[in-house]
Amino acid sequence: MAQHNPWPDEGNTGHIWDEDLRELDNPPPLWWMLSFYAGFIMIVFYSLYYPTIPLTDGTGEFTKGMAEWTQVEEYHDDYAVLKDWRKAKFADKEEKLAALSVDEIIKDDDLRSYAVATSKVLFGDYCAACHGAGGQGNPNFPVLADDDWLWGGKPAQIEASLVNGRIGNMPAKGMMGNLNEQEISDVADYVIALSEGKGDDAAYAAGKAVYTKGMCMACHGPAGKPLAPAGAANLTDQVWRFSSDRAEVINVITNGVNVKKDGQYIAGTKQAVMPSFKERLPNADVNIKRLTVYVHALGGGQ
Amino acid sequence: MDTTAKPQYDNGVVQYLTVGAVAFLVLGTFMGTFAAAQLAWPALNFDIAEITFARLRVMHTNTVIFAFGGMTLMATAFYTVQRTNGVKLWSNKMAWWTAILFTIGLLAVVVTISLGMTTGKEYHEQEWPLAIAIAIVWTLYTFNFVMTIASRNKETHPNVYVSNWFFLGMMIAITYLYVVNGLAIPVSLFRSYSMFAGVQDAMIQWWWGHNAVGFFLTAGFLAIMYYFVPKQAQRPIYSYRLSVIHFWALMFGYVWLGAHHLQYTALPDWTGSLGAVISLAMIIPSWGGALNGMLTLSGAWDRLRTDYILRFLIISLAFYAMSTFEGPVMASKTVNALSHYTDWTVGHVHSGALGWVAMVSIGAIYHMVMKLWNTEMYSMKLINFHFWLATIGTVFYIVAMWVSGIMQGLMWRAYDEYGTLAYTFAESVAAMHPYYAMRALGGLLFFSGAAIMLYNVVMTIRTANAKATSQAEAHA
Amino acid sequence: MADNQEPKNIQDGLERNIFALFLATALAVSIAGIVEIVPLFYLKSAVDYTEQTDKYGNVKNEKFPELVWERTFTEVDGKLVADKALYKQDNNGKWVVADWKAGDGVRPYTPLELAGRDIYLREGCYICHSQMIRPFRDERERYGHYSLATESMYDHPMQWGSKRTGPDMARVGGKYSDEWHVMHLMRPQDMVPESVMPAYPWLAENSIEKDFFGTDRDMQKRLSVMRTLGVPYTDEEIENANEAVKGHTEMDALVAYLQVLGTMVKLDDSKTYRE
Ligand code: HEC
Ligand code: HEC
Ligand code: HEC
Ligand code: HEM
Ligand code: HEM
Ligand SMILES: [Ca+2]
Ligand SMILES: [Ca+2]
Ligand SMILES: [Cu+2]
Repeated sequence: MAQHNPWPDEGNTGHIWDEDLRELDNPPPLWWMLSFYAGFIMIVFYSLYYPTIPLTDGTGEFTKGMAEWTQVEEYHDDYAVLKDWRKAKFADKEEKLAALSVDEIIKDDDLRSYAVATSKVLFGDYCAACHGAGGQGNPNFPVLADDDWLWGGKPAQIEASLVNGRIGNMPAKGMMGNLNEQEISDVADYVIALSEGKGDDAAYAAGKAVYTKGMCMACHGPAGKPLAPAGAANLTDQVWRFSSDRAEVINVITNGVNVKKDGQYIAGTKQAVMPSFKERLPNADVNIKRLTVYVHALGGGQ
Repeated sequence: MDTTAKPQYDNGVVQYLTVGAVAFLVLGTFMGTFAAAQLAWPALNFDIAEITFARLRVMHTNTVIFAFGGMTLMATAFYTVQRTNGVKLWSNKMAWWTAILFTIGLLAVVVTISLGMTTGKEYHEQEWPLAIAIAIVWTLYTFNFVMTIASRNKETHPNVYVSNWFFLGMMIAITYLYVVNGLAIPVSLFRSYSMFAGVQDAMIQWWWGHNAVGFFLTAGFLAIMYYFVPKQAQRPIYSYRLSVIHFWALMFGYVWLGAHHLQYTALPDWTGSLGAVISLAMIIPSWGGALNGMLTLSGAWDRLRTDYILRFLIISLAFYAMSTFEGPVMASKTVNALSHYTDWTVGHVHSGALGWVAMVSIGAIYHMVMKLWNTEMYSMKLINFHFWLATIGTVFYIVAMWVSGIMQGLMWRAYDEYGTLAYTFAESVAAMHPYYAMRALGGLLFFSGAAIMLYNVVMTIRTANAKATSQAEAHA
Repeated sequence: MADNQEPKNIQDGLERNIFALFLATALAVSIAGIVEIVPLFYLKSAVDYTEQTDKYGNVKNEKFPELVWERTFTEVDGKLVADKALYKQDNNGKWVVADWKAGDGVRPYTPLELAGRDIYLREGCYICHSQMIRPFRDERERYGHYSLATESMYDHPMQWGSKRTGPDMARVGGKYSDEWHVMHLMRPQDMVPESVMPAYPWLAENSIEKDFFGTDRDMQKRLSVMRTLGVPYTDEEIENANEAVKGHTEMDALVAYLQVLGTMVKLDDSKTYRE
């Protein structure tokens, strides 16, 4: 009861709720009040200093503040600091990277190790998702850290892979699309044997004949080794672009790679698309060269 | 008027809401712990759509904030509004309807989110039929609350107690912001498209999002603090004037802060600056609440040794003070540039959510259980145990997130000796693993505490009921 | 008798009259929204000076026209038509983007992309992935040019996100092949061993034509609601919307959405788009 104050001397406000709930009439602590007012003063100064107030004059603008600060200017300034720093330390190397061809860069030891050292995160953020953090490949995505190449391991060839991207191409059921199931099964046995170095065994003669009938050599070369790099896999080594599993090999031969019908991939075909990076990478001109050198140095560059 | 007779209050609905809140705390912290474990060990997603990390996380936030937080707010508001105004609820029936519909609504929210029905707006994921239902239930809650105050005896209770101001402010702001942010056109029963797009949508969404924090998780729980701290400590509130000033400062100030969630985004520069400076200015008003609570205790510090419930209430104020200092610091442009998008935000969230919201609720709930069932707790030892599990769990959680968040932020922006980025994104993901595991452990501790609480509360109620029946039989 | 006095001051008065307190509080919480939000609807600078040109939602940008794909709408025989088509059926019967190509400026999503966006929301990708590149040098180098307001002007709701458990998605379009996205969504750890992203194998099985509980996903309705909200679609585009997603899985739709992110505008580092 508010009229009856059982705590007359403690300095309460005289209001009492729920038997014993009451509040004292203490002032807030001085430091708190001072900081509270300081808050208002800060708001005023801050608002004058930074852009804070939208205008209603129809210009679509707002107060710019005395600092003339904008996010984007801060960004440009920040970036400029980094760029200047890079320039001061590495301008000679960066200029050379821009001017020289990848072949020339690779010949220059100093420049090559510089290019490799500056590629790590670029490769990690843009390439590793497909090719693995160390270029060790992923299911369906080729290994870059070996000397087995679809499109060629010469610097210019690697560079071309990056600039234009790559689209693997293999028809379904042989060049003319006329192989039957038995034939495909035979030729699958044959190419598996090829990879184990047993291609000439008599047991695989049937498959070898199919290999000719299907005109596989047009891409994979007469002996399973492409004559010139044009995207076809080398069938004579233990490195498998997709898989050595017999069922998978049959699947690749049956449905091919990137085979489309009516503009759409046919069921079961292997999709193999490497995006083009010439528009994609920041500072692409130099960075593509850098990455080319990096990939070349992963182990298998020719 | 007879001043000695104890007024009779409507306790049934409060009892229901109190137990419901504890149950939702257990459920919500279990979801949080599970989600934390999924980030440490992604195999725990089990390829089950309904519990993949992203859906589970949204179920978690809805369960802890709206189900647990909401039920706690309803229980405490219905409990305190009667006692501080010396009247029964304006409508007990309406309160029951509110409580039951709210339970059903929130269960439906959790289930539908698990099924994938979501607006895609953070902290407002409920799709339109449920959002409308919740807005209506919330209005009933507000109406009943206001009418209860209006029906008080103005002779005996001329002034409205400070708890009620905060509850009222919370109810008004939440209704208003929730409705505006929720404006959308349905395209089916399960899906709607927000009326707003792009920058406008972003600003409106965080205007609401921040104030789900500022009003739901702050103003509402300050109301709880203002009743339960003086009650449990048996001390008067330290300063009435402080209550007044910081109440109005919070009501007016908090609503401006949404833009600090959008620092350096495509929002115009002025909005971010405004959000930043008012956030900084909010440290002091926020501390006003913490200070008033802590100073209320001055002279009763010795009780902390024996009163475990008071410990929950006091540590919650410490965490409240800490997170309302941390928040404004993170709102400043320079710090936000680092902390935004990282686990630091998540750490900040939980120092507020676990340290403040959950702790103050737990304290209030233990207090209410004893009063509502007119008994001692089944085990005081278990409350002490719960206290330590909750505190250590919270500390594990936020320390892990500070380290991982700052590390993440620094790794993303680090340059090496060549002036090129030093770490790939994937490396930063890998570096988080130990901290994600540590957070999961902290969560497990916190969750265990909540489970023990549920046990303790259930046992308390069972013993109280048993005692009541045996007494009734003895009388007969 | 302290209680029956007249209110001592305004505060005391509010404490005595709950309805007055209600109104005063409602007023206090309203001001910020008016100052911070309302200007975003009329200030030209809010959306990089992009302005609406007709009642259907078509817009142009006065400073940087290249940011927006501009079309002119006219009504012919009561039907709304445009001078350029967003999407069309090609010779193979496949629905493809028509008169727009990457870099031509921000445009509405095709039905398949919009359906994919619904999946993106349903799975909660925004919980882990932001779509908002901030103007920082490290973000420039990792993700690309900073994001502009114009880029999300047709996004109801926006998906800027607040947490980067995974990388930013604002410019992920074209970074990987469709095939990679499918394999990644089927099992992220196969592609990126460190990844903590969940797998989404069911996307490849579910038809995008169906929505919850086997109901039809009515893309016509969705596009027309979008138009009501100011996203410019022609009548024909709305009419063909269900056809355009026929036969696709949720996976196709999601990948279509991911592949368009960030490809609409071609931004130039030497220009300052935002002030
Ligand atoms: C979306 C996945 C993807 C990404 C990202 C990707 N690649 Fe590729 N890459 C492929 C595929 C698929 C092939 C094989 C194409 C084929 O089958 O003809 C390939 C082939 C290559 C080749 C030719 C290999 C050979 O044996 O001739 C090189 C070199 C290469 N990638 C380098 C890179 C680099 C460097 C990057 C990063 C800038 C990169 N790739 C990013 C998918 C990708
Ligand atoms: C038009 C060119 C072409 C023809 C004809 C062709 N292939 Fe291929 N083949 C390729 C290409 C290109 C690849 C690699 C695809 C890739 O990596 O993207 C390939 C890959 C393969 C592979 C997978 C190798 C691995 O390492 O996983 C097998 C097996 C294969 N071819 C067998 C055959 C057989 C058998 C025939 C004939 C019936 C045949 N190819 C005809 C172009 C061709
Ligand atoms: C648990 C958090 C999480 C969720 C949920 C999640 N992701 Fe991811 N996402 C990641 C992480 C971590 C990475 C980085 C590692 C990787 O590439 O898997 C990532 C990477 C990606 C990438 C590659 C981005 C790049 O630039 O390398 C794409 C695309 C992607 N996610 C799409 C999605 C989509 C679509 C969804 C929803 C269906 C989704 N993610 C849900 C965590 C998540
Ligand atoms: C004055 C007090 C506070 C200020 C100024 C403040 C400020 C901030 C800031 C700057 C962020 C990060 C935004 C970002 O970078 O994305 C944030 C996030 C958050 N804060 Fe606070 N905070 C305060 C108090 C609290 C309290 C007491 C809680 C209680 C639970 C809380 C809960 C949250 C939540 C849930 C988020 C996450 C929002 C999201 O999903 O991104 N905050 N806060
Ligand atoms: C056992 C205790 C808890 C655990 C283990 C836990 C765990 C988590 C996890 C793992 C996340 C996702 C973080 C991420 O995306 O990286 C999260 C988010 C969140 N949790 Fe909890 N949580 C717990 C309790 C609570 C409680 C009690 C509350 C509120 C009262 C709460 C509120 C939130 C909020 C608001 C978010 C979203 C944060 C953001 O968007 O930044 N949590 N929690
Ligand atoms: Ca290779
Ligand atoms: Ca968030
Ligand atoms: Cu906030």
